Amino acid sequence: MGPVELLHMSVFSQSFSPCGRFLAAGNNYGEIALFSLSAALSPDASEGSQKPILNFTAHDGPVFSLLSTDTHLLSAGNGEISAWSWAELIKKVSQLFSKCMTSLEIPEINAMIINPKDNSLIVGGGDNNIHIMDMETGIFKSVLKGHTDYIHCLCFKEREEEILSGGEDGAVRIWGHTEIPLSRFQTCSGMVGQECARPQFGKWISCLATDSDWMLCGGGPSLSLWHLRSMSPTSVFPLPGCQREAVFHQDLIMSVGEGPYVSHCLHGGTVKAQIPCTPSSLNTLALNLKNTEHRVMTVGGSSHQIDVFTNFSYRAFSLSF
Amino acid sequence: MSSDAVKKRKPKVVRNEAGTPETKRSRAEGDQEVRVYNEEVELEDRDPQQDYMLYKDTCADLAKLMAEIQELKSSGAKVGSVEIEERHRQCSVHFITLKKLNRLAHMRLKKGRDQTHEAKQRVDVLHLQLQNLLYEVMHLQKEISKCLEFKSQHEEIELVSEEEFFQEAPAEISRPHVTRDDNHQLTLARLDWELEQRKRLAEQYKMSLARKEKIQKAIEQKREYLSSLQPGLQNIMQASLPVQEYLSMPFEQMQKQAEVARHLPPPLYVLLVQAAAYGQACDKTLSVNISGDVDEAKALSRRPEDSQEDESDSDAEEEQQNTKRRRATVGVQLEDKRKAMLRRHPLSLCVDLKCKDGSVLHLFFYYLMNLNILTVKTKVSTATDLSGAVSAGELLNSESLLNCLYASDHGKETPNPANRYQFDKVGITTFADYVSDLGHPYVWVQKLGGLQFSSDGAQSELRGSALSASHMEKTMKLLRGRLQARLALHKQFSSLEHSIIPVSSECQHLFPAKVVSGLTRWTMMSYQEFTELGFVQHVLKAGLVCETDLFFMAVVERGTARLLAAVVLNPRYPEVMPLFSLSLHWKGERSGRTEDNLRAMESEVNVFRAELQGPRPGLQLLTNQIQRLCVCLDVYLETESQVCDGSEGPREFPREKMCLRTARGPSRLKPFKYNHPQGFFSHR
Repeated sequence: MGPVELLHMSVFSQSFSPCGRFLAAGNNYGEIALFSLSAALSPDASEGSQKPILNFTAHDGPVFSLLSTDTHLLSAGNGEISAWSWAELIKKVSQLFSKCMTSLEIPEINAMIINPKDNSLIVGGGDNNIHIMDMETGIFKSVLKGHTDYIHCLCFKEREEEILSGGEDGAVRIWGHTEIPLSRFQTCSGMVGQECARPQFGKWISCLATDSDWMLCGGGPSLSLWHLRSMSPTSVFPLPGCQREAVFHQDLIMSVGEGPYVSHCLHGGTVKAQIPCTPSSLNTLALNLKNTEHRVMTVGGSSHQIDVFTNFSYRAFSLSF
Repeated sequence: MSSDAVKKRKPKVVRNEAGTPETKRSRAEGDQEVRVYNEEVELEDRDPQQDYMLYKDTCADLAKLMAEIQELKSSGAKVGSVEIEERHRQCSVHFITLKKLNRLAHMRLKKGRDQTHEAKQRVDVLHLQLQNLLYEVMHLQKEISKCLEFKSQHEEIELVSEEEFFQEAPAEISRPHVTRDDNHQLTLARLDWELEQRKRLAEQYKMSLARKEKIQKAIEQKREYLSSLQPGLQNIMQASLPVQEYLSMPFEQMQKQAEVARHLPPPLYVLLVQAAAYGQACDKTLSVNISGDVDEAKALSRRPEDSQEDESDSDAEEEQQNTKRRRATVGVQLEDKRKAMLRRHPLSLCVDLKCKDGSVLHLFFYYLMNLNILTVKTKVSTATDLSGAVSAGELLNSESLLNCLYASDHGKETPNPANRYQFDKVGITTFADYVSDLGHPYVWVQKLGGLQFSSDGAQSELRGSALSASHMEKTMKLLRGRLQARLALHKQFSSLEHSIIPVSSECQHLFPAKVVSGLTRWTMMSYQEFTELGFVQHVLKAGLVCETDLFFMAVVERGTARLLAAVVLNPRYPEVMPLFSLSLHWKGERSGRTEDNLRAMESEVNVFRAELQGPRPGLQLLTNQIQRLCVCLDVYLETESQVCDGSEGPREFPREKMCLRTARGPSRLKPFKYNHPQGFFSHR
């Protein structure tokens, strides 16, 4: 990795280890780097502790999505998902699924989530479909078709066991899990004409987050908070760029996207703060809630550096590839 | 008691010094019959204790008598009565006793004092004698030690050891029967032997000197004879010249060069030998010549010590004169000193590297004698006249042509750390001021001359020729590569300035057949202008740019869209890839920092060296990068679904490129990768 490659690196995905002491990050060169949070957060941290303890090439395309289960790290490359044991991250445990669609272009995998109730992995990507796979056996159970363009993001409602998906076609679809394959779906694609639509950017939905009754979605349209039962937007956040990831955290909504800052917003629709960061635009935000000692927020984007926030109001330091 | 004492007589008078009243009395009575009372003699008989008791008794009696008189007087007796008179008489007698006792006491005291004094005198005398004796003892001891330490001159003469002496010396000198017992004789004998030997050796020396003179004369004669042969040989050489040319063995030329080479300073000599050897063995296009004034060089080598002494003497003289003169000639003298310090050796080497297309790189190597470094100046002569491309002005500039041949070898400062001290003495702050006159002291030049300075991270143990040989091949290859790269760039620049991107046939497969965006401007920038651009700050911050790089601005246009690309060209092109930073002016201004797609375009152009460098030696790199930039701009503009303010007007750029998907991934990047031969665009 010469300095020119570092200059053009983008971080697309992050995932914390089950114990919460390590952070795995995936970049556009297909590499996954493992950082030790305990070393970086310790009082005698040095320059070296902000470098990865392990850096390996996982896929030959960019790693758009990383997901952590209790024992494994799942990484998604071009049409393939690999599982790595957290215990020994060097050895590949198994390659869970490998797709070959058209030979011309292999679809990427943009989002992965886990349904803990029946231990299945839900994957959405470039072929406009959502695939559900059983993690025990590795067999694909079902395919949810319906989107007309590729899927950006997935989200899971625990209580009703429903999947929400947002895609390039501007539609947010809700998939029930009670009947297989696809039962009822509802779209919130009527964003055109609504107050959150921003036609100068486009109509794609690139971030989704849900808090049982509430749903956040944004992308081309402004980031907005929707009440799910009534399917109507309650507040629209006046953020200038297109948001790529948003999370609910306690009373706040934190979102990242175009623009070198993390936005803190309140449910009412006001933007409380915009915390500046080093990358010029951000792709991923992750909160380490599993471990109380290392309770940090990390963001990564168009830079080889990942910003770490120990106090969510300001950037503490940066890890770098 | 006292009455007895009065009546005592002495026939003789023994007078001693003490006691003045008695003395006076005795002198007065001395003419008469000598019957004088000597109280002092009496003193010895009396016991002081008894006298004391007597005194007490007398006092008591006196007191008693006084009391009785008092009584009598108070009881009314007459003044002249008998009892009172009796008592008066007794009192008087007592008084007299008391007086005597007093006298005796004084006399005792005096006697005691006299005795003490006498004793002290005696003691003093003895003490003085003791001191005298001690002093004398000390003196004698010193004398003894002085005598013992005495070294006679004879001990400074180095003598052979005793065994050798006994072995070598003839019997009449060594006289073992005497000398073995007697050390003094032994030493004398040894000295004798020494003297003999020295005399003998002096004789030998004289004889050797005489022989040497004779031989010297013989040599002179032979020399004269040889030099008389010289003209004859010259004639033969001249006659053989045509033969040499006919057989193409430039024997004489090489000899001449070798002759001159003898006067070269060591580093230049090493360079000459190694370069000539390399040229003969590996590279027929390399040639080495010596140029310069041979006579001056001879003069220099003949008296190197003298010239140094002269310098220091003249310095001293100048300093003296300095203090006497009032006018400030310090500046001129300093200038002279500087010139002297920076003096070049009169001989220099010229190395020519010829390339296949007829252009030649001339390298002139100079040796700075006082600083002990080599410098190089360059000149490029081309077969064809290079038409002036404006932006190519810097490429073949002799000042910067060889910049950074090896990474970070700028040739601005002298690599010899000792020069720092020399510069301080004459007030030179930086060598960079003199570089344009004297040439560049690159580190590789020093290595080729076999000079190794401790500051170049000295890991190698090589010195001299070995060092030069180990670097020769690589350096020559780099030099040739540099010349070719610069010439290629020169040609490319002249066509870039005419808005034509020269893509060679081997690289056509990297690009689609139809490229609509075109290069409209190609200009050179200075470092200052570069740093002022807003969209290059990330490159500056990452430390990928330094002042010695070359900076260019390329403008690619299509329709209303204008793409500005700031290019950083490292002197070591094509080893180091040029770095592009983009800024697009189309419906607003965006740069690689604000938009992910432009960043992806930058990455497409900057990162993929293996694809873009084309056939070896990779001289197509820059032009391929520019062509790829045009292709990427095409893709960007055609896939941008601009729906401004809701209206769907006619698109400015119709979709012509074949793409499977226009957006992919979370950042919705466009497909910039061209696939050959299918001819469609995909994502990386």
